[in-house]
Amino acid sequence: MYEEMLLNDYENDEQIIETISKRFTTYGYKRIKTSAFEHYDLYSKVKSAINQNEMIKVIDSTGEVLVLRPDVTIPVTQQLAQRTGKLSSELRYYYVQEVFRQPFERSEKIASTQAGIEYFCESSPEADAEVIALACHTMKDLGFNDIKIEIGHAAFFNELVQDLPITSQQVGQLKTLIQAKNIVEIGPFLENFQIANEVKQAIEQIPFLYGNPSDVYDRANGNALTKKMQDTLDYIMDVYRILKMYGLEQYIVIDLGLINHMDYYSDVIFQGYVGRFGKPVLMGGRYDQLGNEFGATLPAIGFACEIESLAKASEKSKRPSTTIDVKIVYEDVQVGQAIQIANELRGRDYRVLSFPKRKEQSDYQQSDYVIQLTETDSSLHYNEELISFSSMKELLDLLASVKGAL
Amino acid sequence: MDYITVAMAKGRTADRALVLLEKAGIHFSEFHDESRKLVVFDDENSIKLIFVKAVDVPTYVEKGAADIGIIGKDTILEDPRDVYELLDLGIGKCKLAVAGFPGTQITGSQFLTVASKYPNAAKDYFDKKGIRTELIKLNGSIELAPLIGMSDVIVDIVETGSTLKENGLVVLETIRDISARLIVNKASYATKTARIQQFIADLKVALEVHS
Repeated sequence: MYEEMLLNDYENDEQIIETISKRFTTYGYKRIKTSAFEHYDLYSKVKSAINQNEMIKVIDSTGEVLVLRPDVTIPVTQQLAQRTGKLSSELRYYYVQEVFRQPFERSEKIASTQAGIEYFCESSPEADAEVIALACHTMKDLGFNDIKIEIGHAAFFNELVQDLPITSQQVGQLKTLIQAKNIVEIGPFLENFQIANEVKQAIEQIPFLYGNPSDVYDRANGNALTKKMQDTLDYIMDVYRILKMYGLEQYIVIDLGLINHMDYYSDVIFQGYVGRFGKPVLMGGRYDQLGNEFGATLPAIGFACEIESLAKASEKSKRPSTTIDVKIVYEDVQVGQAIQIANELRGRDYRVLSFPKRKEQSDYQQSDYVIQLTETDSSLHYNEELISFSSMKELLDLLASVKGAL
Repeated sequence: MDYITVAMAKGRTADRALVLLEKAGIHFSEFHDESRKLVVFDDENSIKLIFVKAVDVPTYVEKGAADIGIIGKDTILEDPRDVYELLDLGIGKCKLAVAGFPGTQITGSQFLTVASKYPNAAKDYFDKKGIRTELIKLNGSIELAPLIGMSDVIVDIVETGSTLKENGLVVLETIRDISARLIVNKASYATKTARIQQFIADLKVALEVHS
């Protein structure tokens, strides 16, 4: 549904985008863009990645059906697959762009801005831990304190259910029960089928496999019925050990009942929460088999977060920040000096506004510093202190010193 | 310490839930039967209780406006939300059932007109049985629908069956048992794990004593 965008909404979003982009860059990611329109066929081909009812379809002049970009991972993977059948070198990409989905609920918007990374590399605990560490690092940059990253593994559940005598629709029902940690109903649901007792018990235990990694590992060990499940557990613990080296153990919980909606995740999956916000703020996982859909071998891991959610979440936990660094207030005769200072400071990335004294009240924005220019005196007003300066160099030194004191 | 917010609807189930909470050591001193307060506190345990309309409880919890909700399974079935459903409180027990005049045939040969407060849950049930239906959503006095010929059957919650009986209707099929559940916001479970698990553990003990 059409939603009006409010004019003043964007400032906060842009700051978040800037922070995120900066952090992604420090881990060696390069920014990419994908096309706003994609072929509908691309999305109908990839198995149940995105619900087809959610896609916004458009018909072009030749009659071909296009969709407004519902996700970024799939077109990136497809493009790479067309270029190369096999990964010759690791690739790190990040993007910040809008995605479009028809929401089921009226209150939600069609467009949202996603920021995310795709790291094409062989699966290894170091690589996966680095991506989770980047997710955590990014959330910390944004000023969130109560960060929790839940880590799970797609193979754990899949391995348990793959040999069960139940239809794919029933697997779906079981997934829903596990996603809801519905301990009350999982048991009775399984009673309907001929399932070995130990498998039944292992499935019933999944909702309890949540919490501190070492505890979960101990509890899950008894439920690892196959070698693959055991390997999965060991792999998660390896990832966790590396995350500890990043100093992030306080943020990590294991949730083996975590089953993502995106069916293409094959191994490690994770999602992040921050305090006082009811939805996950980031989601990701490893999707080693997605490339196969396009005839290429492209192991990769990635995550994405929604800028609008982050903005909403940060509103709740942060004080409003000033958007102007320096305000210059000058007497009319000092207009030349004011322009000179403004130019100089803008050249150094300060955000500057300047006004003649008679128009001082024309903008109500708060700034960190105020520079007052009169015929007789130039001074910097900061934190209730008034310090005079006589040259540009003195002013810059002054700004540098008070900034350093912050 | 941050408050934990619990949402429930006023009514019989809430009264019984409050008894359970009391046994679990959670006490809202400002609450009494005639009170019209929508928010009450247990300052000792830092728990806030809010009263909302029953059908809104899952919404409050999914959005994180409440960390925990206590709500009938009927409401969850009708409007499934992305929340954890961690405990059966064993209170507010009743059945979700198909009712109609005695001898009404429910077959797949023609469209069945169904009136219900729970159109989604009802449709889900009949779809699984391969019976084609036309659903009529009503918000109250559901029993009236077959009496005035608006529907063939109704789907509603049945506790004692006395309302049905007085209107000449009977239970034709039982869909499932209903009771009150404890639901939890997924983000709250991640960021306030210890406190929420403690809340649940206390309630479980109270439940065992209760039964």
